[in-house]
Amino acid sequence: MSDGIARSRLAEERKAWRKNHPHGFVAKPETRADGSVDLMVWHCVIPGRKGTDWEGGYFPLTLNFSEEYPSKPPKCKFPNGFFHPNVYPSGIVCLSILSERRGWRPSITVKQILVGIQDLLDQPNATDAAQTEGHQLYVSNPNEYRKRVQQQVLQYPQSL
Amino acid sequence: MASQEQLSAIKRAKVLMVGAGGIGCELLKTLALSGFQDIHIDIEHCSSVEAIVELVIDMDTIEVSNLNRQFLFRQSHVGQSKAKVARDAVLRFRPNISITPYHANVKESSFNVDFFKEFDVVLNGLDNLDARRHVNRLCLAADIPLVESGTTGFLGQVTVHLKGKTECYECQPKPVPKTYPVCTITSTPSKFVHCIVWAKDLLFAKLFGDKNQENDLNVRSSDTANSSEHSEDVFECRKDEDIERYGRRIYDHVFGHNIEVALSNEETWKNRNKPRPIYSKDVLPEEQTKENGNEEKGCAADDVSAMVSLSLKNPQDIWSLVENSRVFLEALSLFFLKREKDIGNLTFDKDDQLAVEFVTAAANIRASSFGIPLHSLFEAKGIAGNIVHAVATTNAIIAGLIVIEAIKVLQKDNNNYRMTYCLEHPSRKLLLMPVEPYEPNRSCYVCSETPLLLEVNTQRSKLWDFVEKIIKAKLGMNFPLIMQGASILYEVGEDLEEDMVAIYAANLEKALSELPSPVTSGSVLTVEDLQQEFSCSINIKHREEFDEEKEPDGMLLSGWVEAPVDKDNNKPIGNDESTSNDLPSVETLEGEKDDEIQETSEVVETFAGKKRKLSEVSEVTAPDPSGPSSINQNKPKKLDIDDEDDELIISDDWESLTKKKKL
Repeated sequence: MSDGIARSRLAEERKAWRKNHPHGFVAKPETRADGSVDLMVWHCVIPGRKGTDWEGGYFPLTLNFSEEYPSKPPKCKFPNGFFHPNVYPSGIVCLSILSERRGWRPSITVKQILVGIQDLLDQPNATDAAQTEGHQLYVSNPNEYRKRVQQQVLQYPQSL
Repeated sequence: MASQEQLSAIKRAKVLMVGAGGIGCELLKTLALSGFQDIHIDIEHCSSVEAIVELVIDMDTIEVSNLNRQFLFRQSHVGQSKAKVARDAVLRFRPNISITPYHANVKESSFNVDFFKEFDVVLNGLDNLDARRHVNRLCLAADIPLVESGTTGFLGQVTVHLKGKTECYECQPKPVPKTYPVCTITSTPSKFVHCIVWAKDLLFAKLFGDKNQENDLNVRSSDTANSSEHSEDVFECRKDEDIERYGRRIYDHVFGHNIEVALSNEETWKNRNKPRPIYSKDVLPEEQTKENGNEEKGCAADDVSAMVSLSLKNPQDIWSLVENSRVFLEALSLFFLKREKDIGNLTFDKDDQLAVEFVTAAANIRASSFGIPLHSLFEAKGIAGNIVHAVATTNAIIAGLIVIEAIKVLQKDNNNYRMTYCLEHPSRKLLLMPVEPYEPNRSCYVCSETPLLLEVNTQRSKLWDFVEKIIKAKLGMNFPLIMQGASILYEVGEDLEEDMVAIYAANLEKALSELPSPVTSGSVLTVEDLQQEFSCSINIKHREEFDEEKEPDGMLLSGWVEAPVDKDNNKPIGNDESTSNDLPSVETLEGEKDDEIQETSEVVETFAGKKRKLSEVSEVTAPDPSGPSSINQNKPKKLDIDDEDDELIISDDWESLTKKKKL
């Protein structure tokens, strides 16, 4: 049954999400071109938190789960070139709870991951730079940083 | 009487009682008087799933017919919530305990695993299989002990279910409504119940039900030379045909002509008594019926009655063939004269007086044709409506036994749990029969992880067939989530995103092997339910052909505890679904709208004397490669209980038999 743990956990996550999830968030398994629905990849949307510069943006995020899930965390990825100090140029999110060696615990749910990333958007971790551009603007030019964030918000309107 | 430990266990206990009906009232009273202090009641609906949505309030409330046995309720409470009134009644003599009523359906999502986890023990006083399964699955998921109960007339039972220690509620098969082979109903009835099924599901449905519904009433005539167009409109009332003549034409067709047609097939009657065709002119000379057309009695359409217009008073009288024929014709014409608007969308309802009269008369006429003893309207109504009279004393005994087991559960007295049966006739001077509980059935699809096996033609059967015939009908899931590996094949629910809904709708129409992730021989499907906390695996095996008579679903699920089948008629029903739901099987009873008679609102499943049969069935089909099918052979099933056979019940080696399985 070891190979089924990831899938049965993901089925539980799917059920839990369908029963209850935070407003404005989307999280659903990937639908491929042939109509198959893959539980190992989830397409999500994280809304920027109200009252922050991120408000109004709906940011697409992909969760890639491995067979080792939930022993290992999923890979969480924004689109390439996403502007944020803690997002790698590839879009991969750098966050302690998503790091196998740091804060990840198998009990962390998809909901907690998404809410955690929503928090991260407005509260970047200055000590954990993942991209130079975002990080430099964040620490040295707050005005320009805000402008870039607001531009990015316009880039991801709700219709997504 | 209770020891100190018992008392303190009771005082600390927080119990959930599901159902506040016949057993529930007795149980609440007994709990309160035994010293329990914190009781939560969820009153379950006595309704079918569809009805719950619309009739929440209606179904949950006290009805006049409850008052004779649900003694916490008085006439003034009629129409009020059972849970609330029961609470108030008990608080009057036990003011210091806490009773929390929930006027709701136990299947609501707020009664989830976390809710169940708050309790020390769950006590069921339910009236339907669906809710029992649901509570069983939740108790397993929450790992909370369940004391389950049921009564049917004089029979009753109490069982204890502890995850991993004793069998769960679904480890043993439950009898489902018996089914009859189509030909027994259409051509070769041998019992009165066959005539009732015929009258209700074929004739009544044909005349007054949905015209588009398939109906096998004339199934015989199609294999003779009879022109099919002819039989097509034989049941339609012709233009300018007078209703009296129409009635006689129907009468002659179904009791005369159809019997003649059946007789022409001599093969059938080699080893059977031949039926006698009956024509209306032989029974009722023309003029005699005329004088009975009592249309002048103007009464509301709802309570038109052929008995009233024919001055037949006692529903317990057995009518003669002549009287039955008059009732038949009168009821038929009353339907057309007084209730024409209902025609075309009626389904048999045991509370519909005219329908019961019609079905009684038709069944009796058919019975006399086949030499089967006739029955009164009262009896016929009981058979047609699956009514078993509830006995208050049985409920009280069962409630007492529930409390005894609940106390053992609270004291963790694991070696002394008993399943107890309450019998109708004392056996060896015992009316109660305690049996040690069995350990869990390792091939139970609910409480074990053994996969089921489904044989199916993966190229022909659609996902829809699988969902309807297996997932819903057999596994009892309502909101299934079907997966193959990490690929989701199907989900359902109002919360789903539109694009997902479209994908799943498309999948339903596809054959299993044509799904985006093809399901073929060797595939393993995982099925979960959004609301019931359980999942199971199903191994798929492709099979080309299925016997239409024996395997009408076109697929065969095994490893699943199959419900017992009537011994005399172990062929499943052929093609007409309505006929299949027909027998006095208590499980189908839901709803408590009754008049002077009560339906069984509480049910015994284990009493089907045919239980052995079932275990044989599962032996044959149990496919499990790891071998647990042998469990079915070795494991003593619950003792066969057959009140007609004392010897079976308590045999001398009974102790040794059950010892083996002692926990």
